[in-house]
Amino acid sequence: MELELKTQLLYPIDQTLLGVMILIIMFGMGASLTVDDFKAVARRSRGVLIGFLSQFGVMPLVALSLALLLDLSPGFAIALILIGCLPGGTTSNMFTYFARGSVALSISMTTASTIVALFMMPILLSLYTQGFTQQITDMMIAADTGTEFVIPTLNIITSLVLVLVPVAMGMTLRRFSPGWAKTAEDTAGFMAIIVILFLLGTLFVRHGDILVRTPWQLYVGTIGVGLIGFFFGYWMSRLFGVQPLFQRAISLETGIQNGPVSFAIILLSFSEPIQSQMIWVAILYSAFIVMTSSFITLWMRKRGRFDYEVYRNTLVHNRLFGENYVTGYPAGFLPARIAHDPSQGSSPSQIR
Amino acid sequence: MESRIIASNLADLYKKAADKYETLPAFATRKTALEWNPVSFRELFEMGQDLAAGLIEIGVDAREHVGLFSDNRLEWMLAEYGIQLSGAVNVPRGRDVTDDELVYIINHAGIRVAFVENSELQKKILRLRPDLPGLQEIILLDEKTKPAEGVRPLKEITAIGAWQRKKGDKSVEERMNQIRPDDLFTLIYTSGTTGRPKGVMLTHSNMMSQMSVIPIDLSCTDRVLSILPIWHIFERVFEVYTICCGSCTYYTSPRTLGEDLKNVEPTFMGSAPRLWESLHQRILENVRAAHPVRRALFHIAYFLGHYYKESIFFLNNNHLQIKRYPFWKRLFFTPFHLLRLLILVPWYGFFNVAVLETIRQSAGGNLKATVSGGGALPMEIDKFFNYIGIPVLEGYGLTETSPVLAARTHEILVTGTVGPPVPDTEIRIVDIESGKILYPDPEHPHNGRGLRGEIWAKGPQVMKGYYREPEITRSVLNDGWFRTGDLGMITFNDCIKILGRSKSTIVLSNGENLEPEPLEMQLRQSRYIDNCMLVGQDQKYVGALIVPKLDAFREENIPAESLKDLSDDVRAKKIIRQEIKNLMTATSGVKQFEQIREFRLLSEPFRIGDELTNLFKLKRHVVEKKYERTIRDIFLPKEVKTRS
Repeated sequence: MELELKTQLLYPIDQTLLGVMILIIMFGMGASLTVDDFKAVARRSRGVLIGFLSQFGVMPLVALSLALLLDLSPGFAIALILIGCLPGGTTSNMFTYFARGSVALSISMTTASTIVALFMMPILLSLYTQGFTQQITDMMIAADTGTEFVIPTLNIITSLVLVLVPVAMGMTLRRFSPGWAKTAEDTAGFMAIIVILFLLGTLFVRHGDILVRTPWQLYVGTIGVGLIGFFFGYWMSRLFGVQPLFQRAISLETGIQNGPVSFAIILLSFSEPIQSQMIWVAILYSAFIVMTSSFITLWMRKRGRFDYEVYRNTLVHNRLFGENYVTGYPAGFLPARIAHDPSQGSSPSQIR
Repeated sequence: MESRIIASNLADLYKKAADKYETLPAFATRKTALEWNPVSFRELFEMGQDLAAGLIEIGVDAREHVGLFSDNRLEWMLAEYGIQLSGAVNVPRGRDVTDDELVYIINHAGIRVAFVENSELQKKILRLRPDLPGLQEIILLDEKTKPAEGVRPLKEITAIGAWQRKKGDKSVEERMNQIRPDDLFTLIYTSGTTGRPKGVMLTHSNMMSQMSVIPIDLSCTDRVLSILPIWHIFERVFEVYTICCGSCTYYTSPRTLGEDLKNVEPTFMGSAPRLWESLHQRILENVRAAHPVRRALFHIAYFLGHYYKESIFFLNNNHLQIKRYPFWKRLFFTPFHLLRLLILVPWYGFFNVAVLETIRQSAGGNLKATVSGGGALPMEIDKFFNYIGIPVLEGYGLTETSPVLAARTHEILVTGTVGPPVPDTEIRIVDIESGKILYPDPEHPHNGRGLRGEIWAKGPQVMKGYYREPEITRSVLNDGWFRTGDLGMITFNDCIKILGRSKSTIVLSNGENLEPEPLEMQLRQSRYIDNCMLVGQDQKYVGALIVPKLDAFREENIPAESLKDLSDDVRAKKIIRQEIKNLMTATSGVKQFEQIREFRLLSEPFRIGDELTNLFKLKRHVVEKKYERTIRDIFLPKEVKTRS
């Protein structure tokens, strides 16, 4: 199950392009954040904690299990686990908005996980990839190309810090010119799609049959990691008794990882023979996650419609008629799942 | 979740709404931007019963006509409740009622008891009192105004009623039980665009039929923003409909609309085309002011929205079909549109999320759909809102049809039409000259679809007649068929397309006929033109009276203090001439003889109440009279003009 490539997967030009894209996207991410978002994390600690649990607890395990179950080769496996350990990206905020989830929680989780990832990622990565690094070391010794393969922990931390620089710059822009920041945010999203499509395009031109030669296990892995993430995020938060609005946010935040960060880490910290393989995994994941989360979002949007309308109505009533106004829906109008939810109509809203 | 109430009359509906929705807010009035007063269905009904008992006590009979002169406000609804629950008939008219209209309506309808809104109206009605021999009681709605002598505050009547009910008086319940479906619930005087006001008699069963056919799903979680005059039937039916569904109506005003859209986050809104025009303008102004990257993003998004939605319309058979759309053509184009849709979906998806959503935010962000009525919505604006993802459900109707005859639904959303007829409603297209039925008639190809003529309608919503005007009633109402006076056709996907008012048709001296409305609508698209009216009856060519937009000219560095300065400005005239040339092209469907050859810039705007009806429709005869000399000047031979 090896993916043989005749030439290098990414040419220097592609790598530069990818680098620029990462810069722009992370800048755009920063432009969507304010210092208040960080402060808000403390206020939403419960939701953020549950999200934290599913992002750094469940997701890496899901990735590891998939890698083991599908018997992926070490390069692919490490990349998949890397994706499992990533912090959340800004795209999850956008999807959450359309899935009628709590955007505020989504932003808080993105913010918190990006910071926490600084030390969580290296720990998780070296913990879960032990078996696979040994395999690579064996291979390298056998081929006489090296002596030992280790996860470049320090490099990963450096890459993460580097990635945070444009984020900080974006936040500065937001601080001084919200109008420009909004433009930067939109442009970044647009650029990301263009670059991903461009990369896919050039890959097809150079390695026309790469899609055919990619083992099916890899497809299952890259699609599955996101989907299973959504699933666990949703059910875990449900088990914790979180309200539907937060369930949707946590679910999407768990499944959608910050793809650009993985590119940055792979390019800066890893080298051949596994770099090309890892990049391919990251590209596949980034492409598939847009599609799967679109479908999940549509499904959630439809499913959550009624709850959301009730929630929105309560919010407006509290905004206009006073904090203590209680909307008295007719008996039987609210289904059992939200009838006694404090935020959904029977008492003033607790969430802002 | 839909929860429409089924009732036999309005009073019954109000009672059932109170029983079903109890403490839910029915109406909300604004105190400050973030402070509103809700009134629940139960409260409203209780207060309404008190008022009804009070009205009965001061001598209001069942089926008596009660005047209600006021604009939108909670007390209007309260007065309406009181009038309906006492079995009487509501005769409403807005704050801007003129002296002549007030006298005419009160005397013609035989009004003994009238509600007036505020001090201004109180003064007016007292001044006219000598001309109103039949008027006995005046009730003042506004609490802050001090009632003049002989005028009773609303509170007093309510207090009388409350006292009566406390003593065990059951007259309200008796009155409610006596209401028959065929009884009037309102008498609406339409100034229309021509002639003296006519009292349209609408019955409880008219109103109840509307409740069951309105093709919009509302529920207890919906918020409806109200801006149109309540005495107009379009808004009125809508507010009754929100009561029927348990939704809450929030009263806003043009001044606070922008703010209220943000704070109320309406899920639904009904308004006249003029509001959509100004919202459209505002969005475009914002785009123009945004910096180039955002502008480019908007244009890409709009482009994608355009082609995406057009393909969706095509695949759902919801594109405008004035001519028969052959089967082979459909077969040929379907794969094309499917392919286009497939290519556009991811791009549209992204731009819809990133760009179009922010634009929808400026309309509150939660609008499920909007209704436009009370006039024709320009095609451009119609499409604009549909493309950016705010479905516009345009409807069609008249006061005489209480009002909805046809409306687009989410499933049948054909832009450029007013949708299919609502259930239980029959539509005919009748040739104006011969009086022959064109549609439905199997003699004609395709049963008469695509032929233009006057629209006739028959159904449970058609009025009983004009009050004390049997002659006029007979001229429009025959065997249940109501002649709308509107020109239209049935499209090949069975929607109604409106083509203008048959009565406003301009006939040029060469015998060519033209409908001024669509052309005027086209002209109003210009950012330089505020309003306009085409003239040219019996003349050789078409002329136009144009009210320019002062701000737009100031942006062009034309220093004009007022419209008066502008009216003689050579540069302004040049700009307008160019605008007309740009807008009235053959490609946009303007025929040679419809071209405007001469125009005059007016030094005053058209005002509501004078040249415009409350729904911004032109009162052509008023304009023609006021600008008689200007119009004559337009058509003077050239040499005479140079000499003078």
